[in-house]
Amino acid sequence: MHMIWVMLALLAVFIVRVVKGPSIWDRLLGLSVISTKVILIIVFFASYNQIAYLLDIAIVFVLLGFISIIFTALFLLQRIKAGGK
Amino acid sequence: MQVVGDIFVIIGTVFILFGVIGLMKFKNFYTRILVTAKIDTVGVITVIIGIAIKHGLSFFSMKVLLLMGIVMIVNPLASHMIARSAYLSGYQTEGQDDKAKTTYNEEHV
Amino acid sequence: MIQIFLFFWLVSAFLVTKEQKSVRLIIYLGIFSLISSLCFLLFGAPDVAMAEAVISAFSTIVFIVCFEKYYTLVEEPNHLPIKAGFQKGLRKALPFIAFTVLLAVLFICFLPGGEHNTYLKDQYTARFVQDVGGENAVTAIYLGYRMYDTLFEALMLLVSIVAVVHLSWHKGGSVTDGKPSDIRDSDIAGVTVRIICPILLLFSVYLIMNGHISPGGGFQGGVMIAAFFVCRYMIYDIYDVRIHRVITLEKLVYVGILVISMYVFLLGTSTYLPIPQSVYLTLMNWLVGIKVASGFLIVFYRFIAFERR
Repeated sequence: MHMIWVMLALLAVFIVRVVKGPSIWDRLLGLSVISTKVILIIVFFASYNQIAYLLDIAIVFVLLGFISIIFTALFLLQRIKAGGK
Repeated sequence: MQVVGDIFVIIGTVFILFGVIGLMKFKNFYTRILVTAKIDTVGVITVIIGIAIKHGLSFFSMKVLLLMGIVMIVNPLASHMIARSAYLSGYQTEGQDDKAKTTYNEEHV
Repeated sequence: MIQIFLFFWLVSAFLVTKEQKSVRLIIYLGIFSLISSLCFLLFGAPDVAMAEAVISAFSTIVFIVCFEKYYTLVEEPNHLPIKAGFQKGLRKALPFIAFTVLLAVLFICFLPGGEHNTYLKDQYTARFVQDVGGENAVTAIYLGYRMYDTLFEALMLLVSIVAVVHLSWHKGGSVTDGKPSDIRDSDIAGVTVRIICPILLLFSVYLIMNGHISPGGGFQGGVMIAAFFVCRYMIYDIYDVRIHRVITLEKLVYVGILVISMYVFLLGTSTYLPIPQSVYLTLMNWLVGIKVASGFLIVFYRFIAFERR
């Protein structure tokens, strides 16, 4: 249970990076890392309460968050290459 | 078993802490993404192995190991796509500093 | 602990409301929905948490595709001008609104435990295993006690899909205009997405089949099937999906939902269903899943390839 507090503190740091980050890819990296932290919080919560079905939510997070991050990265690449047209 | 699992969890958390320090300290984007992605994947894997050791041989630990496998496939790919997008868009950095060279235009995204 | 999560929730909501650039807005929206999903989980609603995660990921994909279309169609992106007076007034009123929201959140958190009326909750939790079956009370509610709600929601989804199909026309451009992916240039990404695809499909089938005994169900599994088709698009660049057949499939599945639910509820009593309970729940979850999957698939392909015909 103490680990959830540690993860919360780390989450705050990453939100600061996402808000501050100079380029758009810093923000995207922050989003990816925050989703990893959220997965860890879910795993700790499920482990503390001994509930196995909460891990389904973590797997859904991993699989779908990854697709959205890849889509955003591809969009940024194509958009910036095209130069605003 | 409980103590071994706790040690693994603490080691993983220390890895993630290193990632946080790297994310806040380094000035260059590619250094940041290297440190964060590598250390974050390693930390997650170590923490999950620790939790699986804590729960012994059960349904819970099998499911956690499945989650670890998916994370091992997916997490490096997300970092790779972000770095590839940044590099091919012409986001180049010189030396230690971020602001040396900006050949891309971020106005329209 | 829950107070701190609510505080994070509030901060991310402020980030979303204050941002004006599009891609940053999408990223902040992702953070907001991650944290709100955590809050739902801690409040003890795993079904809602899973639905939030699924919706956030798929809406990110749809937003990205829409921005792609927008930039392809319009030469210079000109933001809609907001009236200056309204904006200034909003900016003045924002602290008061924030303070009110904060007070409301704190009030809800530290509500003194009074005597609530728990009649309905006791009724549902005591009787759902006998009445509808399954071990997940949420499934029992949305497929048993509140079947009419589910029917109406499915109808709303159908109507909105029909609206998307019939309103999103434009002239000019080619079929491959909305193409966001050159993913095949990168071997690593292509191979890895190929590995992930079957896992996605397998996991969505697991979610739908276990909808009545664990969190998940028709909606979540359906959106994951749609995400599988998005992956398939990213790998192979498929444009020639026969979208008319998918639309017909969705309408037929809606008719199927209507027929089965009417059959069950007209022939059954409150403690007796004409078909076995688990068969009924699994069948309805599959139908809802196929309907949601085809609906989201239509939206995605409509925006990405089929706007011109």
